[in-house]
Amino acid sequence: MKPLHIILLLMAAAGIGAVVSLYGNTTQYIAFKDAQELAKENPGKEYHVVCQLNKQKPVLYNPQKDPNYLEFWAIDSLGKEMKVIYGRPKPQDMERSQKLVLIGYQEEDYFRANSILSKCPSKYEDEPVNNR
Amino acid sequence: MENIQFNGELLWPGNLGQFFIVLCTVASLGAALFYYRSANNELQSDRQWARRMFYVQAFSVLAIFTILFWIIFKHRYEYYYAWRHSSNSLPVYYMISCFWEGQEGSFLLWMFWNALLGLILVRKAGNWESPVMAVIAFVQLGLSTMLLGLGQGSAEWPIHIGSSPFDLLREQRPDFLQIPVMGTVGGPANYLQIFKDGNGLNQLLQNYWMVIHPPTLFLGFATAMVPFAYSIAGLWKNNDRGWISPAITWSLVCVGILGAGIIMGGFWAYESLSFGGYWAWDPVENASLMPWLIMASASHMLLISKSTGRHLFTAHLLVQLSFWLVLYATFLTRSGILGEASVHSFTDLGLSGQLLILLLSLMLLSVLSALRSAMLRRSVILGFVALVLIFSLLTLFGGKSNQAQLTQIMKWTGVIVFTGVFSWFIYQLYVRTRTQQDDERWLSRELWMFIGAMFLILSLVQVFSATSIPVFNKLFGFSKAPAKPEEYNAFQLWLAMPVMLLMAIGQYFRWRDTDARVLGKQLITVAAISLAVTLLVNLNFGIGQPKYLLFLFVGVMLFVANVMYLRQQQKLVWLAWGGSVAHAGFGILLVGVLVSSVNQKILTSTEGIRFASELNKDGKVDEKAVKFNRENVILYQKQPVQLGEFTATYQQVIQGKGNDSIDKYFRVFFAKINKDGSLADSFSLYPKTQNNPKMGLLAEPSTRHYISRDIFTHVNYESSLEKKEPFSDFQETVAAPGESILTSSGKIKLRIDSVTRFNSDEGAGVQLRITAVRLQDSAVLFPKFVVNMAENNFSSIPAMSSELGVLADIVNIEVPEPGQAADKVRFLIKTGERTPQKNYIVIKAIEFPWINLVWAGTIIMVIGFAMAVVYRVKQNASA
Repeated sequence: MKPLHIILLLMAAAGIGAVVSLYGNTTQYIAFKDAQELAKENPGKEYHVVCQLNKQKPVLYNPQKDPNYLEFWAIDSLGKEMKVIYGRPKPQDMERSQKLVLIGYQEEDYFRANSILSKCPSKYEDEPVNNR
Repeated sequence: MENIQFNGELLWPGNLGQFFIVLCTVASLGAALFYYRSANNELQSDRQWARRMFYVQAFSVLAIFTILFWIIFKHRYEYYYAWRHSSNSLPVYYMISCFWEGQEGSFLLWMFWNALLGLILVRKAGNWESPVMAVIAFVQLGLSTMLLGLGQGSAEWPIHIGSSPFDLLREQRPDFLQIPVMGTVGGPANYLQIFKDGNGLNQLLQNYWMVIHPPTLFLGFATAMVPFAYSIAGLWKNNDRGWISPAITWSLVCVGILGAGIIMGGFWAYESLSFGGYWAWDPVENASLMPWLIMASASHMLLISKSTGRHLFTAHLLVQLSFWLVLYATFLTRSGILGEASVHSFTDLGLSGQLLILLLSLMLLSVLSALRSAMLRRSVILGFVALVLIFSLLTLFGGKSNQAQLTQIMKWTGVIVFTGVFSWFIYQLYVRTRTQQDDERWLSRELWMFIGAMFLILSLVQVFSATSIPVFNKLFGFSKAPAKPEEYNAFQLWLAMPVMLLMAIGQYFRWRDTDARVLGKQLITVAAISLAVTLLVNLNFGIGQPKYLLFLFVGVMLFVANVMYLRQQQKLVWLAWGGSVAHAGFGILLVGVLVSSVNQKILTSTEGIRFASELNKDGKVDEKAVKFNRENVILYQKQPVQLGEFTATYQQVIQGKGNDSIDKYFRVFFAKINKDGSLADSFSLYPKTQNNPKMGLLAEPSTRHYISRDIFTHVNYESSLEKKEPFSDFQETVAAPGESILTSSGKIKLRIDSVTRFNSDEGAGVQLRITAVRLQDSAVLFPKFVVNMAENNFSSIPAMSSELGVLADIVNIEVPEPGQAADKVRFLIKTGERTPQKNYIVIKAIEFPWINLVWAGTIIMVIGFAMAVVYRVKQNASA
């Protein structure tokens, strides 16, 4: 075997290994219902849930009590409602968001989000808001 | 609608601009064709024509650029681009940023650099001019079709080719024409009267780094095209060696500029975004990192090819791959496919199909260049065109009912054809360019350089497959979420170390073979000194984890080995130091990345403090709840809080300049106090918030820079965002200046200090100065009362203080009888009360140790690249 061939073989193996392990590890988009079931199998594993803020229910954020505690209710694409707890200040575009992507894991009766991405339509679309 | 004569529109600049876009496309096509002919027949006349065409093209690009800038500068909001991306209040230096907020402007910027590089190559490329410029003109042709705007704004026409920056507002948004009907401006014909201001530039782009970062990045992208063109030209003209020297120079230009552009983007993120860092493995960042990784490895493969004649295949492949990745980056960021994966906002102009065709047709150039037989080349072109046509027709006329099925079939056909052609290309290229030579020696420089390049490719494989998750989701119907930063870090840490090690010691190997004993001695010295330096600097850094300590050691070695190499090579001219300087700078950069991320300290962490939310129903600590992030503290106004070694006090809020400014700066005073009570150090930071009506609360950090660390703060919430309870307990009292009144609860005393008269557009009025006192706290209120004589009515503007929970409003003025003194005027004042609310901010503060190493390393690296480029240019000129 030439040195070059050994190296190329090792590299190819490492590359395939990297891709396989990446795709094996990467979290999936799921619904709250699946999150509850999956949480029993591997507690603490993170998932992404795409959902909407339930604007009928209150969003609790009282920084004077605890600046790192936010509680709200979200509805996923299958219509299931879930309490969400988030350990950071309230994302300010949350209430106008069309969609929230929660990254976190399911506890018994609530979803613990470690990060929240708000998708706001107005960020991308033009609205004649400023025009008078 | 068709026949409305719209008032106030200025249409000739747009028409002129549109003319230049078409001219640019035609001239690029002409230049590409004539250069193609001239590359084959080497006729001087064809080359002359090609040059003229290219000059016309370059002039058109400049003209389009100028006209678009003029439209933005003159606030011509009848043009959609100006309305969408600028506004009246935008300073001139940010008007240039409008060019890269929109897709059309970005393409224009890219074309501008391409044209400039083309003009340089026309003068400098010599014999290579025709084949190289043919490729460049073809790229330019592809990009200018992105601006054509054919079928834009027309619902009947199903195919859109490009998007023109000169499209009109009323064509892009016909719905806006309906708005004036409601108003009094006289119908849609006068619609412009209500569009006197633009939509404005994204607030986050209004940063000085955003003026310079995108042009640098696009220049990096544009320079990646030149080695690509040389590689194609080398294959085309069957010239195995001649293309390498210029390609090395241009690849070094590209690595240097693209690298600088990427880090500038990181610096912008650090300065103006609130995620608290400079790199987040966001798809947009990765998109520009990918071509950089490959161009860096390509430049080393080119060096090997030049010095030893080996690895020609790898050099060709990597140079071409790098440019494909530039196009892939464009596809990723401009097609809207990343929608959910990135925090960046993307514009999707519905051109993803065209972007894909652009990417594939430039990859097609590579395939064609690898084929020797003219017949094969013709069949490949025919096949590609046929496939594009069939797919377009199927998409358009395939019918709604079986659309999903058709899409599936097309997708899989596409994937299979692409994979097949791609593998075939690699095989053909290998056959064309393989080099028959004896085995490499274990102690040769080329072998270890090659290994280093392979590690960079592995690094790319990981970044590529993780960043492309949304693409694969779409292709294969997965539902994978985008990869997290930790997943990237876990791989890249271990891939970076061997690369760094090889960058450190690679130069100690000689081409072809090295004397093992000399090498061993040198490497042992390097390792020993590096170990000593590592232990020394770690006295300050205090890194404990073995893997990070190892990383630190390799990073230090990268620096030490290259500096020592320079000492050994004193006899060389200093310009030849470029490679070592760039390597050493990269070492400093990576050590900075390591220390500033591993050792960063969240000063506002409330770890260990128990909050009510962490207790369960029995009042005991709920262990599950404790694991939360806990990274913010609340700072009440004027109440000092200990943050790390500092005492931080939120002192006051400062409104941004201008009456309707929505910017707020929060002055936070940091003091470090010695044990004896004296002041060791103090400074104020001004983290900013903007309660943007479109984007929510935008927080801009404020940072104190020291040489050895940064103190980084940003505000995540502030008291005025809280929902206010309404005022109540209203009470009306009559009082004259100098007198005091009490609110209904009797807790707040209001004293009228003085009266001032004023005249405004609304009429004449008075303003009161009232001092409100509640226990120890006081506030000054300025309620106003305006009388409009013409319309015979009056209005009041109440004043309030949240901190005291009081409102004062002038209900009426008791006009004095004739003969009475003017100061006897009495006011009927309405007061209201609510719970006083303290002013506070919720703030996060992070200490980044040695982050300056990141910036310093970058600067040194770029200087190194510049030296290497100048050296190569001089060498090539004398050769």
